[in-house]
Amino acid sequence: MTQKNRIDGGLIDRNEPISFTFDGRQFEGYSGDTLASALLANGEKLVARSFKYHRPRGIFTAGSEEPNALVHLRRGAYLEPNTRATVAELYGGLEATSQNFRGSLKHDLMAVTDVFSPLLSAGFYYKTFMWPKAFWEKIYEPIIRSSAGLGRLSGEEDPDIYDKGYLHCDVLIIGAGPSGLSAALAAGRSGARVILCDEDFRFGGRLNAETFEVSGMSGTDWAMETIAELAAMDNVRLMPRTTIYGAYDHGTYGALERISDHLPTSGNKPRQVLWRIYSKRAVLCAGSTERPIAFGNNDRPGIMLAGAVRTYVNRWGAAPGKRVAIFTNNDDGWRTAHDLAAKGVEITAIIDSRECAPLSAPAGAAIIMGGQVVDTKGRHGITSITLANGQQIETDCLAVSGGWNPNVHLTCHQRGRPVWRENIAAFVPGGDIPTGMMVAGAASGELTLASALKQGHKTANSVVKDLGFKPSRKAVSKAEDEPVEVSAFWHVKASKSRAWLDLQNDVTVKDIKLAYQEGYRSVEHLKRYTTLGMATDQGKTSNIPALAIMAECTGKTIPETGTTIFRPPYTPIPISALAGRSRGKNFRPMRLTPSDKWAKEQGAVFIETGMWMRAQWFPREGESHWRESVNREVKQTRNSVGICDVTTLGKIDIQGRDAAEFLNRVYANPFLKLPIGKVRYGLMLREDGIVMDDGTTARLGENHYLMTTTTANAVSVFRHLEFCAQCLWPDLDVKMISATEQFAQFAVAGPNSRKLLQKIVDTKFDISNKAFPFMACGEITVCGGLPARLFRISFSGELAYEIAVPARYGDAMIRALMEAGEEYEVVAYGTEALGVMRIEKGHAAGNELNGQTTARDLGMERMVSKKKDCIGNVLSERPGLNREDGLSLVGFQPVDRKLELKAGAHFVAKGNPANTENDEGWMSSVAFSPIHGHSIGLGFIKRGHERLGEIVQAADPLRSRNIEVEIVSPHFIDPEGERLRV
Amino acid sequence: MSDFTMVATAPLDGYAKDFDGVSLAEITNRAIISIATPAGGEAHLAKAVKSAFGTTLPNIGGSQSSTFSNGQFLGLQQGQTFFVFEHDAPNALEIVAEQLKDAAYLSDQTDSFVMLTISGKNARLALERICLIDLHPDAFSIGRVARTSMEHLSVIIKRTDEDTFFLMSPRSSALSFLHVLETSIHNVT
Repeated sequence: MTQKNRIDGGLIDRNEPISFTFDGRQFEGYSGDTLASALLANGEKLVARSFKYHRPRGIFTAGSEEPNALVHLRRGAYLEPNTRATVAELYGGLEATSQNFRGSLKHDLMAVTDVFSPLLSAGFYYKTFMWPKAFWEKIYEPIIRSSAGLGRLSGEEDPDIYDKGYLHCDVLIIGAGPSGLSAALAAGRSGARVILCDEDFRFGGRLNAETFEVSGMSGTDWAMETIAELAAMDNVRLMPRTTIYGAYDHGTYGALERISDHLPTSGNKPRQVLWRIYSKRAVLCAGSTERPIAFGNNDRPGIMLAGAVRTYVNRWGAAPGKRVAIFTNNDDGWRTAHDLAAKGVEITAIIDSRECAPLSAPAGAAIIMGGQVVDTKGRHGITSITLANGQQIETDCLAVSGGWNPNVHLTCHQRGRPVWRENIAAFVPGGDIPTGMMVAGAASGELTLASALKQGHKTANSVVKDLGFKPSRKAVSKAEDEPVEVSAFWHVKASKSRAWLDLQNDVTVKDIKLAYQEGYRSVEHLKRYTTLGMATDQGKTSNIPALAIMAECTGKTIPETGTTIFRPPYTPIPISALAGRSRGKNFRPMRLTPSDKWAKEQGAVFIETGMWMRAQWFPREGESHWRESVNREVKQTRNSVGICDVTTLGKIDIQGRDAAEFLNRVYANPFLKLPIGKVRYGLMLREDGIVMDDGTTARLGENHYLMTTTTANAVSVFRHLEFCAQCLWPDLDVKMISATEQFAQFAVAGPNSRKLLQKIVDTKFDISNKAFPFMACGEITVCGGLPARLFRISFSGELAYEIAVPARYGDAMIRALMEAGEEYEVVAYGTEALGVMRIEKGHAAGNELNGQTTARDLGMERMVSKKKDCIGNVLSERPGLNREDGLSLVGFQPVDRKLELKAGAHFVAKGNPANTENDEGWMSSVAFSPIHGHSIGLGFIKRGHERLGEIVQAADPLRSRNIEVEIVSPHFIDPEGERLRV
Repeated sequence: MSDFTMVATAPLDGYAKDFDGVSLAEITNRAIISIATPAGGEAHLAKAVKSAFGTTLPNIGGSQSSTFSNGQFLGLQQGQTFFVFEHDAPNALEIVAEQLKDAAYLSDQTDSFVMLTISGKNARLALERICLIDLHPDAFSIGRVARTSMEHLSVIIKRTDEDTFFLMSPRSSALSFLHVLETSIHNVT
């Protein structure tokens, strides 16, 4: 197809034509085009349907503030909805489709909602769907949901890759328009480290859209020359296609860089990168956004912001219309007329709302001063406008200018409030902007080119000087100050038709008035009641006119009415970019045990425990159910010997002259007299008397201890100990370091464990029961001199040891242990068998140390020494924690042995209804005991230790179960601990 | 003589790979000993280090070289220095203890970490995607050391040359750390 509206000039490369499709139709544009400019060049006006009323909509702006021209870009899994055509860079083979309609874009069946618009005013669903009540969930909500939403997702996993990154600079310059470039030059020349970001793919901002001159050359040429100078500086990083979307604490900014959105494919590289930029200072040069004037049917395709019309003509050589009318309340609108006329576009009329002398105008244009557009015509594109005096003017494009709003958004991200400036009838940055941020150019309210250049230069020089750099002596580039007079004029009161404020959410002037009538007068309430300023554009073109109308209604001034809070992101950020590479298995790191490779060779089934991957059980051929494997592992361990990788338990190396005193204070039970070569079980309380963690601590030397923690609490216990050492008792000489990763540690459990280890431990070390009794520990050597540590401790309840070697020998060690154990038919056991055996033995674990239980609940009250002080000692005495009818940890077994116990069931006395009033405790851990041949459990029940033998209900209403269980001792095997000591 | 031979395995099996402008390689022949200063023992330790290793202990965030087995002292936090030196056998603790005797609390950390070097003109570009700290030479010069995190993994980083960085991260997550680095390199080259 021909580009029928393509005109001369522009910053496009006509030697590089690009084919693309829109709604399946083939078009052609040029390199340097956006999708919007290429569509306009091809004469396409209708590009979208509005959200609520499905009104035909066209391109309204030339930037990221676009409310209308949202399209689906790409296809299949790559499809991205709500892409703004105005910022989508054209590439070969681009596929865009329109969105938000049923049927076709031109004949949208949902346009019927426009007919019913009188019934669908602001807040209609709050009022309309009140009754009958039962209809809400089944009828109303499904209908509303099926109609709601902008665009559609592919429903497939996003195949693109995304990344994050961290940048640092002295000066971050946000925006590369005239003030930004001027600031970057000044800062860069001083030698400061500068990052210059702009959301556009071409630096220059409005210089690319206007016909201004800077330092005797065209603005565009000046921008290119400036960029070339900046690019040659090592200390300056140029980041086009990068939006600074948020201003956070301490000079930190969020940025989204679109790396390959302008290319047909990302080439298996990140499509976008989310940067965190740490800056010492930031200069906000975000420019300004033009705002519309509201009048009847002002939403038709072909009605555009005047600055955007100028941009399409000057930058992209695309005429939005052939016969253009202009409606303005300021001098800027007149410049549109001149620029268009210079490119041969006919100007039919200039309607200026101000009652003043006209400015110079192109020949042939009708000039109407004090005029107002009250209505427009043309279903799929504007064909004529009607003025207040009834005059009708034919036009195919209406350029509207209601003045310019400085882009203050980032100045408000830390709750700063903008202030009103009367001479430009707009909000400008207030005093409480983010620390380290300065504002220059149009964003500060300085709307002319010369002042923007000057202010950018001056601000940057002041910033670099503040940072200790010497500002360059080079003078600022010169330009003329263009006229920017404006008179506040927000909407045409004489319009009888609907006048649109928020094009994206179909909010009209009438909606604002209705919200006022119904009491929604705060701008925050107004926003939520009418949906004004929501969705992808966040009301960049609509907020100010809307709150001006609210101010009219309330009789307040605009500054008294105020704005809503601007929050990040400035423009939409894809969720995928926020996720970055943290997707799927890369969501978090994975920790592997030293025996991981060997366990995989054995076909182990793994389970995530925190970040660790632990072997859960080791299935063997012929075993069809996990419990078969686990039963075998338990039985063989109890009958002979089993080996389990317990490296994941936290290990903390503690040294110092006061290490014993330190341990005595952090543990509830005494540690001052633990002999060298011995291990002691330790119970650690929180300050509030609740149990924090348990474990063992071995004394390896006079001033040297090794503490073990549970796997889950390895980090939190270490942090707690550091806090105690650094903040509570800095006078103690105690140093600690994590040794969890340093040692591969294996539990060797079962009656044959000693015999097995005697084949591994070097013979000079006697590990007989007499020489190395229960709770002994020592530094030994194994396999011919390898340093190791041996602990005679048991979690399984059997004769057991834990042997530790440097982690690099972990793989060799598991293989050696298994080989040495062959004659005893040794088994490897996983976490499941580990859990079964500890429940059989009655050991508390994470399920029991859940942050709610006390030493008394666990039956360990006598461990809390009253002869010394320790963390948690005092508050463990609280009456509430020591009630007569307090909880006790006991065992449970089903009365009907065939039934399976479930953790989480609550105990209720026999005969009582199962409700919260009768709740007496809960089942914390359950297992199938292969030794007993039935399900067993541990749990907490009131006065449990006095109730052994009693039958209670284990109520489990969530799983619709209620079974009878008998309260028994928590020690299902070897209650006297004889096996441990053989 | 034991029936069993204990063979050490490196966290990444001695990984080494070259990419466009970046080389990434595991270091396997170094020992790491944590040296903690006893309360009030600063002068005693400084003297012992000077005598045994011919150097001074670094400030936090700095490093000092020693001719002792091509060693490096890394200043990590108040009262804690890591001594990294060329040594293969599992008796590194013994060796340093012989030198420092009771002047410090020592802990063998050799097996706690995977050690890697990343080098080349694109090394900094790759690290930019994962490293929160500023690696510009003006901010992080040769010899500087920092504890930081990369993709939720704790990392100790030292700049050993203009385009070369020494990295240490926990051994158990070595494969995840390698993946993090390889992904970063892929994403920038």
